[in-house]
Amino acid sequence: MKKFDTKLAVDGVDLAVPAGSFFGLLGPNGAGKTTTLSMAVGLLRPDAGRALVLGHDVWADPVRAKALVGVMPDGVRLFDRLDGTELLTYHGLLRGLAPDVIDQRVTELLDVLALADAGRTLVIDYSAGMKKKIALACALLHAPRLLVLDEPFEAVDPVSGATIRDILTRYVAGGGTVIFSSHVLEVVERLCSHVAVMAAGRIRTVGTLDEVRGERTLEEAFVEIVGGRTATGSELSWL
Amino acid sequence: MALTFAKLKLRTLRNGFRGRPAKILMFVLGLLGALFYGALAFLLFLAAMTAGHDGLALAPAYGGTLLALAWLLMPLVWFGVDETLDPARFALLPIPKLVLLRGLLVGALIGVPAAATLLATSGLAVGAAIEGGPAAGAVGAVGVLLGLVLCVLMSRAVTSGFARALRARRTRDLAAVVLAVLAASLGPIQYAINSGAQSVGMDRLESIARVLGWTPFGAPYVVGQDAVAGDWAAVAGRLALTAAVIVLLAWWWSTSLESAMVGSAGDGGGSGTGPARAGSPTARFFRRSRAPRTAYGAMLVRELRYWLRDARRRASLITFAVVGIFLPVMLNVGPAAGDKQLPMAVQLLTMVGVGTLASVGIANQFGYDGSAYAAQVVAGIPGRLELRARAMAYSWLVLPVLLSVVALTVVLRGHPAELPAVLGVPLAAYGTGLACCLHLSVWGAYALPETQNPFAINTGTGVAKSLLAMAAMIAGPVLAAPVFLLAAFGGPVGSALALPVGLAYGLGAAWLGALTAGDALDRRQPELLAMVTPKR
Ligand SMILES: Nc1ncnc2c1ncn2[C@@H]1O[C@H](COP(=O)(O)OP(=O)(O)OP(=O)(O)O)[C@@H](O)[C@H]1O
Ligand SMILES: [Mg+2]
Repeated sequence: MKKFDTKLAVDGVDLAVPAGSFFGLLGPNGAGKTTTLSMAVGLLRPDAGRALVLGHDVWADPVRAKALVGVMPDGVRLFDRLDGTELLTYHGLLRGLAPDVIDQRVTELLDVLALADAGRTLVIDYSAGMKKKIALACALLHAPRLLVLDEPFEAVDPVSGATIRDILTRYVAGGGTVIFSSHVLEVVERLCSHVAVMAAGRIRTVGTLDEVRGERTLEEAFVEIVGGRTATGSELSWL
Repeated sequence: MALTFAKLKLRTLRNGFRGRPAKILMFVLGLLGALFYGALAFLLFLAAMTAGHDGLALAPAYGGTLLALAWLLMPLVWFGVDETLDPARFALLPIPKLVLLRGLLVGALIGVPAAATLLATSGLAVGAAIEGGPAAGAVGAVGVLLGLVLCVLMSRAVTSGFARALRARRTRDLAAVVLAVLAASLGPIQYAINSGAQSVGMDRLESIARVLGWTPFGAPYVVGQDAVAGDWAAVAGRLALTAAVIVLLAWWWSTSLESAMVGSAGDGGGSGTGPARAGSPTARFFRRSRAPRTAYGAMLVRELRYWLRDARRRASLITFAVVGIFLPVMLNVGPAAGDKQLPMAVQLLTMVGVGTLASVGIANQFGYDGSAYAAQVVAGIPGRLELRARAMAYSWLVLPVLLSVVALTVVLRGHPAELPAVLGVPLAAYGTGLACCLHLSVWGAYALPETQNPFAINTGTGVAKSLLAMAAMIAGPVLAAPVFLLAAFGGPVGSALALPVGLAYGLGAAWLGALTAGDALDRRQPELLAMVTPKR
């Protein structure tokens, strides 16, 4: 549960993410997705409740829990006065990896994410999509057991999007767990094994993709669950 | 349009305070302090106009000049300018430049310092009205208003000009520019203080006042006196001079404003892409550094790089270098020092000040990082390790400056035997100051706006910043007092012992500070992250 001043941003979310699942967190803008994920990884202290990562309490035993998680927060700056290679290396060292492991992984990640040429440019001069990709690389670098990604597909081009999807699918196949928030329902539909829909700080629906979707498309299900409005055609007539 | 800007500014201010009682308290405290000093200065100026006393009659020229210099220097060395209305935010709006300039100026005029200045100097206008009737009063009022506009414009133009210079690529020649400019501006102050201190005759003071009255600093404040005396030619001349300088400053500001607006895509630019360096990523990251290949070493190297690449951090380092170098020079050469040297105890007291000042740069270290600090939180870095790396990196850059200040002082005083005391005392003060500032950085961090201007801060934080830093700057020297007392009053033995004792004392204090602040940091990581994340 999290309260900002008087606004209850997240209210009694109880979410169990099965190990080895590919979990999509959906919800309209301001639903509380970012807030929920931030509390789950230790970026935001909940007013009440706990968060467990593979059995370790994030707030009681942060060191053990945080070592298992890779995080890509949304709307957070990177240490952007380092260049791409420096930033990745820095993250590797922070996570206590050995130098030779870092060298190999950094080179590979930059290659795969098509950032090799930008490795010497300061991250502050990157485009929005490039920043997303390098942030993702930072989260992947220490081969965590759980990946928490906030809007990983926002602003990335189709080719990179496909690459990221590929990486994540392989990662889950290898036994990892991914939870990510997204507004791109096609991607969610294609990737996820489990889905949860939030609105106004509460979980509205949770289950496997098929349970949530039923006979409809995911988009129809989503609109029905959060209760979207349909256009009458009379608004914005001046436009 | 200007009204819209004023409303916008007031609204941003109000929203900034919403639901943050501590910030409101700080603001009110600052306001009360400003009112107090403003009222005091008001009375002084009023007396100067009406008393007819020779010495007091010099107050407008000297007081006005000091005020203007304060507006010029304070943002650079200490307070920063309030960029509640960041020019870059208006880049996309179709606002004519002149209108924008006027609007930003109006926005800048709304604030505590401007209000206090107006309160203080309005004493001149009231005094002129009492002495010389309404016409003189009106002239005085015009002078006061023009003076205020001049002060505000000057602080804006100079900081954004500096900001532009600090963003340029090469750090070193830049530092030289800043040094030169600040040195140049310190010269006159030093001269004025020195001539005052030597109690030269009234003639001398008067002749200086006459000169000051014809500089743009003093001119707007003296017109009231001229009007009372009926010297209308002088009134016209001084007002014209002030107006001309205002126009010039406005033009300068508008040019740097333009670049502040266009270049907002990425601030800093830093050192850009370096020459292609071969080697593995870790080799490239550490370059020639021999730091350990661990999380600690990584933080150390990153901090070092940040102190040099981040314009804000660089600005704070340069500020310390300038003040630190000029303090001993000002105190030991020049007319103030005269032929008799500063007593050793006083000299050591200034060294306590230098040591403390050296440590202050780290007081908002997390604020410089902003939301990037999330990376440290996510990685679960232990607080002690984090602070140890940061303090080490900062000391690595600041201690050489501190040592050169010491060396300079010893050379200027010409007594090599004083070296242990002159070195030991600031080291102790640096250590205790570091301990205090590490705690300050964990408990009293505040977000910096994400703008281009390294001198920019948010309104309200200016007061908070100075109150908290003041507390640390008092606590640091108090804690270092034992070493100071030993060195100053312990006779030759104490003086010789000051170096080893000071070194051990400073190291111990810094170590203890890093441990305790580190533990506090472990408990406060998410809160700290929230404090330093800029609200947009
Ligand atoms: N720091 C904050 N202070 C006050 N309110 C906040 C803060 N952060 C979030 N909120 C509020 O909490 C609610 C949930 O925000 P959150 O960022 O979690 O939404 P989200 O689901 O991630 O939305 P989006 O899809 O737009 O990213 C919003 O109504 C927002 O206004
Ligand atoms: Mg979000």
